[in-house]
Amino acid sequence: MSAFTTECYQNEYLPLGASEVNAIVTVTSDGAAGGTNQPDAAEIVILDTSGSMGVPRRKLESAREATRVAIDCIRDGVAFGVIAGTEIARAVYPGDGTLVTASPEMRAEAKQALRRLEAKGGTAIGSWLTLAGTLFATWPERSCHAILLTDGENQHETEEHLAAVLSELDGRFQCDCRGVGTDWRVSELRRVASALLGSVDIIAEPEDMAEDFRALMQTAMGKSTGNVSLRLWMPQGSSVAFVRQVAPTIEELTGRAVQVDPRTADYPTATWGRESRDYHICINVQPGEVGDEMLAGRVSLVEGDETRATALVKAIWTDDQQLSTHINREVAHYTGQAELADCIQEGLEARKEGDLATATFKLGRAVKLAAESGNDGTMKLLQAVVEVDDAATGTIRLRHDVATVDEMSLDTRSTITVRVGPGAG
Amino acid sequence: MSVVCPRGHQSEATDYCDQCGALIASGGTTQVLPALEEADTSPAARREPCPACGAARSGDDRYCESCGYDFLSPPQSPSPWEAIVTADRAQFERLAVAGVSFPADYPERRFVLADGENRIGRSRGHPDEPAPEIDLAAAPADPGVSRLHATLERRDDGAIVVRDLGSTNGTMLNDNPAPIAPREAIPLADGDRVHVGAWTTITVRKR
Repeated sequence: MSAFTTECYQNEYLPLGASEVNAIVTVTSDGAAGGTNQPDAAEIVILDTSGSMGVPRRKLESAREATRVAIDCIRDGVAFGVIAGTEIARAVYPGDGTLVTASPEMRAEAKQALRRLEAKGGTAIGSWLTLAGTLFATWPERSCHAILLTDGENQHETEEHLAAVLSELDGRFQCDCRGVGTDWRVSELRRVASALLGSVDIIAEPEDMAEDFRALMQTAMGKSTGNVSLRLWMPQGSSVAFVRQVAPTIEELTGRAVQVDPRTADYPTATWGRESRDYHICINVQPGEVGDEMLAGRVSLVEGDETRATALVKAIWTDDQQLSTHINREVAHYTGQAELADCIQEGLEARKEGDLATATFKLGRAVKLAAESGNDGTMKLLQAVVEVDDAATGTIRLRHDVATVDEMSLDTRSTITVRVGPGAG
Repeated sequence: MSVVCPRGHQSEATDYCDQCGALIASGGTTQVLPALEEADTSPAARREPCPACGAARSGDDRYCESCGYDFLSPPQSPSPWEAIVTADRAQFERLAVAGVSFPADYPERRFVLADGENRIGRSRGHPDEPAPEIDLAAAPADPGVSRLHATLERRDDGAIVVRDLGSTNGTMLNDNPAPIAPREAIPLADGDRVHVGAWTTITVRKR
């Protein structure tokens, strides 16, 4: 069983009349048990086998190879299966309406079944997810995880259908989404990944798929908890402004609240391995008098009925401006990281629409924020899209000949944040 | 066990109030009380309602603090009838008694009608003179109500009747301006209005 620890970073001192309380809560799971003797998982690989996957031919071959690598990472006892997706979904393996328990024989059989895959047909991601949900449902009580690979847009079903499927699934399994090449839509895959509490990334070259799938499956096998919720208790008369994961990536959780009682709500965080995540919590409370101290939020990590760790978010009202005007370093840093992600997405959107003034302004601001916070990864991605004249002031010029893959990489990875470093604050 | 926060909430959490979040000091201001559930289950503290008037019984007192009901008396079916006393402006204007003004504020009064006779009147507060069951002496008192004005009687067959006791100003029923004949029992129906004095109306109701 994993042990969780929490740390809370905030300036609990508020000026008189202030009602907004901000805190960064760092949650760390030691990943004890390491997943090694925890067979109660279920895994499905969902492969796009639409016609475009055969162009070039190596794309489907790479996908097949990547799936083989992923299957080899599945440890004995885990239930697994493979789905091939076109305008309909087909269970390639085992194909009898359920999942099989992994063993050397079953893994070999599954890899054999991959040979039969053909690239033919369209793309209907919602139907693939529906089939995955049905197969997972035959193994209740398991932590379910899927890897979804596509190379194109969701052409053969409506946006409404996909939205309905996502709301129907309601996070019943976690799904990491990967787009190979540059013909898929970042916003579409991000929506699927967000709804299913997974990651989204671009795989520029088909040959890189195998390594990515290996990493994804190894991470999945390293999970040592079931589904964990972040539980937030707030006092009477308070309300949530927002709850968002801010590291390692930005994930908005505000709308994901499941009310437990009038003052308590649960936010899903899926399964945990050996890892650390940061959450930014912003609560509006009823202002107190000078000297009043109150608990603005009690943040707990809850697995099943058990509370694994707790952090306290406090508020103390003071007339000492020295105390109340100071902005906590972590809060400031992650407020900046969230703005960085927004600036990139809005800047790229404006650029696509030909609104170059807005694009220059937003991406310039992004460069400034990336430089200030020491987010070198994002800075490097930005430099492929803009020419940086002065990072400190955010003075940039848009590049004219930007490769689609660079633009999509920047978009996809815009939500990756860095932790507070020496350069910040 | 639970603690009381500075704002008076019962809190299971002992660091901050689990209702309002207020800091609960660890020093002497924290009062430790038994949990509410425990208090509720102890027999002495159980508060049964009075069968006559519905008020909560205080501890294991023998008599109801509100109406004097004897909790040790043999249980009876509670009276299904009550008399609701109000100041009736329409009646006041109809009678237009010289020198009497309508009360500015007259809280509605309710009396549960016991079996047999319920006298309507105004006690003078003499200790040796029993007060009528429906005592209208409390201020603002209607000067047109006699000391012993009328009775409301609950009969064995369940019927309810009004009888004027030969009052100075008479007793009227509903919209009829003529007073009822003295000492004659007039049967009443649910919702009937008995007018006494300059502005008092007593509505008889089944509960």
